[in-house]
Amino acid sequence: MPAADVSATLFGYHGAYLRIDASNGRVDRLPIAETVLRQFLGGVGLGAWLLLEEGAAATAALAPEAPIAFVFSPLVGSPLTTSAKFAVVSKSPLTNRINDSLASSGFAIAGKRCGCDAILIVGRAAALSTLVIDDGHVRLQAAEDLRGASCGAAESALKSRLGAGYEIASIGPAGERAVRYATISHDGRHAGRGGSGAVLGSKNLKAIAVRGTQRCEWAHPRELAQYSKALSARSFGPATAKYRELGTASNLLTFNRLGVLPTRNFQSGTFDAAADISPEEIRHTHSKTRASCVACTIGCEHIYSIGEDDDKGVRLEYESLFALGPLCGVGDADAVLRASRLCDDMGIDTISAGGTIAFAMECVERGWLDEPWLSFGSGDAMIRAIELIARREGVGDLLADGSRSAAEAIGHGSIAFAPQVKGMEIPGYEPRGLQTMALGFAVGGRGADHNRSGAYEVDFSERVDRRHATMDAVRYAIETEDKAALMDSLVICKFLRGVFDDFYSEAADMLRLVAGWDASADELHDTARRIVGAKRQFNLLAGWTPAEDTLPDRFLEQALEGDAAARLSREQLDALVGEYHRQRGW
Amino acid sequence: MRVEFLGIPRERAGVSELELDADTLGQLLTSLEQKLPSLGALVDSGRLKPSFLASLNGDTFVSDPRTRLSKSDCVLILSADAGG
Repeated sequence: MPAADVSATLFGYHGAYLRIDASNGRVDRLPIAETVLRQFLGGVGLGAWLLLEEGAAATAALAPEAPIAFVFSPLVGSPLTTSAKFAVVSKSPLTNRINDSLASSGFAIAGKRCGCDAILIVGRAAALSTLVIDDGHVRLQAAEDLRGASCGAAESALKSRLGAGYEIASIGPAGERAVRYATISHDGRHAGRGGSGAVLGSKNLKAIAVRGTQRCEWAHPRELAQYSKALSARSFGPATAKYRELGTASNLLTFNRLGVLPTRNFQSGTFDAAADISPEEIRHTHSKTRASCVACTIGCEHIYSIGEDDDKGVRLEYESLFALGPLCGVGDADAVLRASRLCDDMGIDTISAGGTIAFAMECVERGWLDEPWLSFGSGDAMIRAIELIARREGVGDLLADGSRSAAEAIGHGSIAFAPQVKGMEIPGYEPRGLQTMALGFAVGGRGADHNRSGAYEVDFSERVDRRHATMDAVRYAIETEDKAALMDSLVICKFLRGVFDDFYSEAADMLRLVAGWDASADELHDTARRIVGAKRQFNLLAGWTPAEDTLPDRFLEQALEGDAAARLSREQLDALVGEYHRQRGW
Repeated sequence: MRVEFLGIPRERAGVSELELDADTLGQLLTSLEQKLPSLGALVDSGRLKPSFLASLNGDTFVSDPRTRLSKSDCVLILSADAGG
């Protein structure tokens, strides 16, 4: 059936995706059957389906034929708060497993208005280029003059060059040089984890520019407007106060107090200088503004200036703060802010950058890496290391491939404390003190991940003893993973999750209003499990084995420093992982 | 006993910690509401509101107002959402 006929029967979708070959400029507009959309929704779910259709699991992540998909969702463009989001899905050059990163804002809306539910790119342009998609018409434009430009500079230059209405997603120097945790940036936000920026760079694409005029119809527009208004009102309530008033960075002091703030490459769960770099402190020494994504009523972004003449500022999140602060032993707020901005400019994932540099610092401390300048606590060293990584110069070339790869090169058994799962560096939740999260990290399909598993929520509750996981952890880990899969496919921001009493029922409501489907909450539970299963299928085809679902030896052989109760044995974790596989039916 | 505030509760309370006497969590929360009205309501339908968490000594999380407290306990009051 022609794509135009498919879309005519759908609400909330176009019923088609653009498949673009950057090698020869060929563009196909391919239909997506409604049954597929119902099964995988959009975002990470539809992205996983597209990658499986392409046979991407067997392809090297940075090979020209490897696909990368920018995937929208039925909610994009609707008046629902926080719905202007898109997923970037590809095989990860960092993990060689499936990778799905999310970013927000106008790119999602403009991309969907190009008349498609996803943009899938294969091939490699002959020279560094910008892929321009103007209402579905595609062309490559030379971008050699932008080589080496920061993400923000490239975006600004292209906005000026292309004119009004375009939204730009770009890579920085790190993506051009295939840093395996390079990001794709849009409007100051990043599809951050797993190296999607390196995949785009491997296609010789500096940026993608989209604009369009093709809107989707909604199944029940009046009801949708009413529901959206009510949801926006709820989003101003106490469930989002933390994000609005302090930002995610407020986790820092809480985690430090609970002894689960990863410090000095996970050698400790507390950091003496935590207060000095906390948002509660730095707001007194650095001016701050707030911002939000397009179509968001929460406004979680807290942007701090660096110095009096700084009119640009840096958006500071907990994960960047932890990774470039305590994890590297850095207690200098200026250094953390500068490092965070440098990562943003270069297009580097802050978590993997901090994790890999902290690992290197420990190797230096042990005498296994001859880079004496690279020491815990030195903000200057951390910033220098980021610069070297972005340019792949000196030790930066080693660190640009991530901590797992660096450990394999350094030897001495250093893999035992490379802070990664499946090659992806661990976010800022100490696994020994948060053991439901430890399971979530171990089984994560894209590696250690706090966005695809929200198991930490359970650890911060009465439901479990966070330092003594029982088999109940398995059920909770599955529940949070399934919920994340649904949120990331709809796509809607996870910072809204506290607003919903029964997320699955409300998700069914949203789909009814937008797409006109009468899906039940139970059906959406099945959908969530199907999406997790699709990602798992990709990984199986890519070579996954059960042995990958684990944590580094450090977490399984040593109690957390200063907290003898925070101990997780290999036998415990193996039993949890085994039970997880059993309950998943794997 | 010592009560410590973190996150939004610290913002609301305007202090990072204080000393209080209470035998149960319910008594402590009621005292806090009276002593620090800027905190707003901490209790809803007899339990700690879902946007807050209380932790005993950083070890366990509690919300039942009947939870017994001892003088040596430190009660942490923090934001419920740990998402980053």
